[in-house]
Amino acid sequence: MEPSKVTAAGLLGSYDPGIFYDEMFTSGGEPRPHCVPFFDELAQMGTPQFEECRRLADLAFLLQGITFTVYNDGLGTERLFPFDLVPRIVPRADWDRIERGLSQRVIALNLFLQDIYGPQRILKDRVVPRSLVLSCRHFRREMIGVNVPRGIYTHIAGIDLVRDSSTSEFLVLEDNVRTPSGVSYVLENRLVMTRMFPRAFLRQEVLPVHHYPAELFQILRAISPRSGDPVVVTLTPGAHNSAYFEHSFLAQQMGIELVESRDLIVDADVVYMKTIRGLTRVDVIYRRVDDEFLDPIAFRPDSLLGVPGLMSAYRAGNVALANAIGNGIADDKAIYAYVPEIIKYYLGEEQVLRNVDTYLCSRPADLSYVSDHLDQLVVKAVGESGGYGMLMGPWASKSAIDEFRVRVRADPRNYIAQPVIPLSRVPSYDPATGRIEGRHVDLRPYCLYDGDKVIIVPGGLTRVALKADSMVVNSSQGGGSKDTWVLRGDT
Amino acid sequence: MMLSRIAESLFWMGRYMERAEETARLLDVHFHTLLEQSQQTYLLRWDSIIRMSGEHERFFELYGDATPQTVFEFLGFREDNPNSVVGCIARVRENARTIRDRISRELWEDVNSFYHRIRGFRAGSELLAGPHRFCNEVKFSSHQFRGVADDTLTHDEGWQFLRAGRALERAEKTARIVDVEYHTLLEGRTEHQPDHHQWMAVLKSVAAYEMYRREFHSSIEPRRVAQLLILHPSLPRSIRFNIAELQASLQAISLAAPGTYANEAERLTGKLHETLRYDRVEDIFDRGLHDFLRDVQRTCRHIGDQIARKYFYYAAA
Repeated sequence: MEPSKVTAAGLLGSYDPGIFYDEMFTSGGEPRPHCVPFFDELAQMGTPQFEECRRLADLAFLLQGITFTVYNDGLGTERLFPFDLVPRIVPRADWDRIERGLSQRVIALNLFLQDIYGPQRILKDRVVPRSLVLSCRHFRREMIGVNVPRGIYTHIAGIDLVRDSSTSEFLVLEDNVRTPSGVSYVLENRLVMTRMFPRAFLRQEVLPVHHYPAELFQILRAISPRSGDPVVVTLTPGAHNSAYFEHSFLAQQMGIELVESRDLIVDADVVYMKTIRGLTRVDVIYRRVDDEFLDPIAFRPDSLLGVPGLMSAYRAGNVALANAIGNGIADDKAIYAYVPEIIKYYLGEEQVLRNVDTYLCSRPADLSYVSDHLDQLVVKAVGESGGYGMLMGPWASKSAIDEFRVRVRADPRNYIAQPVIPLSRVPSYDPATGRIEGRHVDLRPYCLYDGDKVIIVPGGLTRVALKADSMVVNSSQGGGSKDTWVLRGDT
Repeated sequence: MMLSRIAESLFWMGRYMERAEETARLLDVHFHTLLEQSQQTYLLRWDSIIRMSGEHERFFELYGDATPQTVFEFLGFREDNPNSVVGCIARVRENARTIRDRISRELWEDVNSFYHRIRGFRAGSELLAGPHRFCNEVKFSSHQFRGVADDTLTHDEGWQFLRAGRALERAEKTARIVDVEYHTLLEGRTEHQPDHHQWMAVLKSVAAYEMYRREFHSSIEPRRVAQLLILHPSLPRSIRFNIAELQASLQAISLAAPGTYANEAERLTGKLHETLRYDRVEDIFDRGLHDFLRDVQRTCRHIGDQIARKYFYYAAA
């Protein structure tokens, strides 16, 4: 490697942007114009001062209980979701394009869901294969012909983007339109950052994110089946769920009740919650419980998280759910490959943000290619998320690859494969070396859809693979998060 | 509009926090008083502390003897003893966590940091250091909890449930302490001189020693201790004071007019309050102190059941 041109002392001493696209530095090692103010801030800090900021930030997260629990003793050990203090900074022009691309995508996916659970035009026109949709594990026959309030299925979408180092272009990696999580970290990360780096915020105009809960509440209110002041609640699986902090955070920020299934009861197709004054009717449920656990009568009979009769109340139009049931067909990883056609079919537009090239193992030609090139590809199970059911070919052992080949051949519909995208990097602190080094990132913005327009809080959750050279950003695999700054202008 | 589950969590937060504090107080005062006693009494008295905690069966399953070490570990730290200090704080926090959207951020952070602090203590090293450091931490953190709750929560029904839980727990605990102490210190005794230091310890454990001095200006007489702890109208840990608190919070929840009751929990509370207001200590001793205190404890348990039945439980759908 060539010696770096980055000259700041201490923390950044010998920062090497490497062969990847670096979000803060040019390949020559100069800070990009929009990153200069924060770079100046870092350049003035020594490692001990930075360590102190880190310690304070971690303490703030610990005291607020923003932790997830690992059970290996009686009481459970709580871990912090690692937070890296160097923000990812996005200039306005990049963001505008992202915003247009996400809006287009969310609207198209919503139209797709309306169509699939309605007239199924796109299947009749053979744009998307019928067999692919009907064989999807998350396809819900019970939803056919149900009139969802205002025709909205995807009230909340979290769409994962990556930036390809070879072209510096943002690509869509996957869609999450069931119960995407992580938005609470966006808000909490920002709060901590404004405390740690007040000067940086004074020098640059960073677009705010804290209106998210208010926007979400408006979306939820608007789908109430009753006129007047609706009762809106958040439904959580309970305090042991790994995203419980987020459920309670959002309920608190929206000023609505956080309920568990045992707080709800359905009588004559109307949902009620149990209060100290008796039963109170519920109009809208922002549910953070998966489809199959929502109602033990309609779906999994063994579910303890569900409310018996909820599906029937939903079908009767007496309660609204966000997101709708059955959305899993729209974020199925095999359907993903058809999203460019889906956008064209419903909107007559080209996609603004491109997909990553995808091989569908259900197509014989793709399957044979994938089988022969597993060591170069990323293979994913179509219905999974969170980094589960995945093979990272170039890093996998021969035996893992052979085992995956058997699984893919046994159930081709269940797998897709993609080339490895060299993810862009953002400078991140490595506590082992006490230095800032490049680490790979992705970006998950959160999109809210009111049936008319898509509202996106500027930024989103930047997830970072904190292990050197790792491309896996999931928290279960050593990933952390960063604050994402969208600037009002381009610098 | 308050979910039953949330009201129940607040009620139990009030109870568990109080239970943790009472236990810490007992451990602290007795440990330091008994340092000055003869070996025989020393052993005997740890036994009664275990009985005050209501966990003697569990204790004797786990340990052979009630020694300072075993009692301190069991009541202070054992995580498999749900009524240990650490166990109670863990449950306060667990309850707070499941309703954190409904309590103030300050209260949640207070409870959470208390929990993390308390998990940093270890039974062995604390006992060597003298348990005062640990017990004091619990005591003042409990006071702080109350202050943060009073100053950052809306004084709505939820806050009333928290207050009701604390008052009920405290009334029941004081009844138990007086009951066990009387049994141990009087009925088992053959000597004549009253056990001055141990009655002092009882008073100190419920923060009533200075009050006793001001009220009676006399040496410590068991009967007056009982009078103070059962009947005093304004001593914050007397049974009467706490039953009055409980009555006030239940009426604030139901909005029943003064002198009336809206449910069985309020009827039982009101009835007990009247007894405590109009009985003299002689009346209680004439009827038998032990029976009286047993009745108080039983009534407290019924009140707890009735509150749950009225506000927390719904018949299965």
